[in-house]
Amino acid sequence: MTKKVEEASLAIATAVKLSRVQVCPMYPITPSTHVPEKIAEYIANGEFDATLIDVESEHSAASAFLGSVATGCRTFTATASQGLALMYEILPIISGMRFPGVMAVANRALSAPISIWNDHSDAVSTRDQGWIQLWVESSQEALDTIIQGFLISEDSKVQLPLMVNFDGFTLSHVFEPVDIPSQAEVDKFLPKFKPVFKLDVKKPMTFGPIGFPDSFMHFKKQQQNAMINALEVVKKANSSFKKSFGRSYGDGLLDLYKMTGAEYAVIGMGTLCGTAKVAIDKLRKEGKKVGLIRIRCLRPFPEKELQNAIKNLKAVAVLDRHISLGQEGPLFTDIRSAIYCNDITINSYIAGLGGMDITVSHFEKVFKDLAQGKQKGEWLF
Amino acid sequence: MVKGLAKERLIKGLPYKEYFVSGHRACAGCGEALMIRHVVKAAGPNTIAVMATGCMEVISTPYPETSWAIPWIHGAFENNSAIASGIDVALKKQGKRDKTNLLVFGGDGASFDIGFGALSGALERGDKFTYVCTDNEAYMNCLAFDSLIMTKDGLKKITDIEVGDLVYALSQKSHKLVLKKCTGVFDNGKKRVFEINTYSQTIKATGNHPFLVLKRNGRGKQSELVWKKVDELRPGDKVVALKQGLDGKPYTFPKIQLSKKGDYKVNKIRAVKIPKKSSVNLMKLLGLYVGDGWTRVVKAELGFAVPLGNKARKPAKQLIKSVFGVGSIRETKNEVFLDSINAVKFIDSLGFGKGAKNKLIPAWVFSLPFNEKKAFVEGLLLSDGYKTGNSFRYVSASKELLRTLRLLLQTMNIRAGKIHQQSKSKGTMVVYRNLKKTSTYGYVCFSLKKGASQKYKSQNKYRDFLYGNKNFEMKVIKSIKRKQVEPTLDLRVEGEHNFIANGIVVHNTGIQRSGGTPLYASTTTSPAGSKVCGKQEPKKPLPFIVASHGIKYVATATPVNIFDLHKKVKKALATPHTSYIHAFSVCPVGWYTKPEATIEIAKLAVNTRVFPLYEIEDGVLTFTQRIEKEKATPVLDYLKVQGRFKHLKPEQVKKIQEYVDTRYDFLLGIEGKKAFDCLF
Repeated sequence: MTKKVEEASLAIATAVKLSRVQVCPMYPITPSTHVPEKIAEYIANGEFDATLIDVESEHSAASAFLGSVATGCRTFTATASQGLALMYEILPIISGMRFPGVMAVANRALSAPISIWNDHSDAVSTRDQGWIQLWVESSQEALDTIIQGFLISEDSKVQLPLMVNFDGFTLSHVFEPVDIPSQAEVDKFLPKFKPVFKLDVKKPMTFGPIGFPDSFMHFKKQQQNAMINALEVVKKANSSFKKSFGRSYGDGLLDLYKMTGAEYAVIGMGTLCGTAKVAIDKLRKEGKKVGLIRIRCLRPFPEKELQNAIKNLKAVAVLDRHISLGQEGPLFTDIRSAIYCNDITINSYIAGLGGMDITVSHFEKVFKDLAQGKQKGEWLF
Repeated sequence: MVKGLAKERLIKGLPYKEYFVSGHRACAGCGEALMIRHVVKAAGPNTIAVMATGCMEVISTPYPETSWAIPWIHGAFENNSAIASGIDVALKKQGKRDKTNLLVFGGDGASFDIGFGALSGALERGDKFTYVCTDNEAYMNCLAFDSLIMTKDGLKKITDIEVGDLVYALSQKSHKLVLKKCTGVFDNGKKRVFEINTYSQTIKATGNHPFLVLKRNGRGKQSELVWKKVDELRPGDKVVALKQGLDGKPYTFPKIQLSKKGDYKVNKIRAVKIPKKSSVNLMKLLGLYVGDGWTRVVKAELGFAVPLGNKARKPAKQLIKSVFGVGSIRETKNEVFLDSINAVKFIDSLGFGKGAKNKLIPAWVFSLPFNEKKAFVEGLLLSDGYKTGNSFRYVSASKELLRTLRLLLQTMNIRAGKIHQQSKSKGTMVVYRNLKKTSTYGYVCFSLKKGASQKYKSQNKYRDFLYGNKNFEMKVIKSIKRKQVEPTLDLRVEGEHNFIANGIVVHNTGIQRSGGTPLYASTTTSPAGSKVCGKQEPKKPLPFIVASHGIKYVATATPVNIFDLHKKVKKALATPHTSYIHAFSVCPVGWYTKPEATIEIAKLAVNTRVFPLYEIEDGVLTFTQRIEKEKATPVLDYLKVQGRFKHLKPEQVKKIQEYVDTRYDFLLGIEGKKAFDCLF
């Protein structure tokens, strides 16, 4: 193991190398560009035995991803924002054909107005397309989650593609100290990719047939079952990762911070949780009983774990970095639906769209609202 | 190309084994399926195929069936090249690239238009695969407004059909009657329509609308059912028609507002039992009502014109009493009456129309059980029916009544003849009254069918291809008449792609313009009208555009010269980078050509120089079949056999001829020269 000061993008590229990925179809887009650049550099220096396909669009990146994984190679790609939107058509095709693989998304706002900065609108709006979605908070977690990602995605009970979301710029371009495991350690943790089905001339199979109304729904039910199976598999990957590397992120699904004895909590995803922790430390010193629930796994949604986590709370606030226009924050919708039976106040805050800063004072305000018994959230500018 | 294969069994030098196997659902005469079959055959077993969304994917892989004996993958419409890039790299990574062929299929829509970016990207990278563009020159037909469609809820006007309605269709596999969901209703605009008449049915449809017709394949061979367009139908052809519908259920009447004592102008009321559901007795009475009955709201009377001594008088009295649960009814010499405002309201709510000329059979009658339908017809016969020999005749002044009756009889396995017209001049005695003016009326004759003898089954089968089928039979077309221009509509039906209009099985619709559609061709999105004659732009020169990417091998091929095609596929697969084959694929449904003419049309395309056969190797173009100007067939011969060009005027044909000649001259000019820069 070596310690290095790395950007999340570079940590991800390193994780891809350590995971012995074979094919990377890539199309650059800010702020994910450092990932393919670093991978290309590794390949060019002979450090990494993979092939990078310089495709002509994200749509083709996702399609080549499909072709590669269908042929039986461990495959990785990275994208962001409009790139993910262009891939949208292919996302349900990959998950519908039950092909495993990992994609890193450097979360960035969707245009218009065009913005290169961070919010969660790109990935959250693809949440129904059958991809497992893990959300990370630090560069270290980004590296670890990529490695875990292949293990989860390729599990025989899951067989679904997985998306690792890391905040654009606020994480992708931020240098942090990162523990980089050795190749031998990773090899021990992550076995070689053994595809369940593949395009093979010795055993011809038809992939992507037309499903008439009598069969289509059965396919979707199986996908749903696999998603539900993934909850346990994510947890298991987290705990076995702890055994191998000594690091873990909550139970793998939720990461709790200072929740013992807490009366009020905020719920969020990604780097805003780092800021929340600073605010919570400050408020705890003042004697306020506050805590943080970080959603690490958005799909499948950890409903039971969440019910458990909030059962002794008086009120929670959900911070969404995305707005389902005409409705509310989608994370808020999910959480409210999950804790419907709990007698608890739940407020929705929309924050940090298009890269607007979320500061410690924002969290202080949110906790103050909760303590005062406010029943409604707001937009935090 | 794959080296070191075990010796294959050959027929005339071509492999015997199929990898795109029979049993798929392509239309009769599909040129695209034929091209794919041979391309895959030439490639052999160690091949992976990638396909864009389109007909071929739908017809060959209806889950859980597949026609592919080689590994096959389909992702989306526009990404076949990109998927292939992923496979190519993955195969290289696994060290299997030299042992495996990679074929990518896309139609002209996927290759010329939506998927061009991905194709161009793969060509630039030179990813090793052979792209086969099966060019059928479009993204691959209508009924008159007054057509009546058989649905689960009875008979509906085509204008009243909504998406989601369940319509009757013929299962082309089992030849059974099935209910299918309607997934689209389309306005096809005003078009010339043709009237097709069989002994029992009449339908109006546009010239390109397909009907299911019997095709005899000659002595000792199995006959089959094929789709034919109205333009190709001839008197004497046999079409599939509905013989008998499915047994229905008694109809529950919607609730109506009944009058109560104390309502406006109602001070006494005769309490009658209002039926909630249809029944045999009620239907018989309604049959009688349609012929001889009337209602008058003002007088609150339901009356029947059944004079003393008429055969219908006794049953009429009995039926009224039993249906409405009354003990006595008012009678005069010529009529019987039930005086009840609620009975009148009930009868009026059933939708049989008012007045002798406007009577009709409402839709719900078509959904009844056979015994109730039969009782209704018996009631009709009681009033205005006559029996002559073994046949019955029903007379009415209402055309709509006769038309709907004829369709009703078709759902009951009864032979109904055509609608006859007659007129009676002023002064003739009709129902004890003199006619005040000359009036026209019609009649329809029908008879029960005699069961065919069980002894000579094969003869019966010859006479009626669907002999023994409970629901369908073959009907001979008596006449086809050209009619006026009128508004037309079409339906799209899921699964079976057909529906039953006016008792005849018809096909549903598709065929839109692509970048590969040739000049002046008519498609559903570039239709030939009075101002615009089909597509206004010539075809995108895709083989040249592909060649301009600097790849080593580009070829064009047709299904006519199979040996030439096999040779080209083998050359293409042996190319170390991307290679491209442009495959001429006749689409009989989209081009409005005869299924058996596919090869003939491909031959004409080559001989008229519309589709030149060449190879571009290392940037040098050589003809594989050169057609000299003197020996070329006129383009007109190619155009006139296709419905999509039937609107062309002589000057447009001339223009196409000039266009074809100019392009061919250009090819002749660059023949043998290095016309494209080779980058690989």
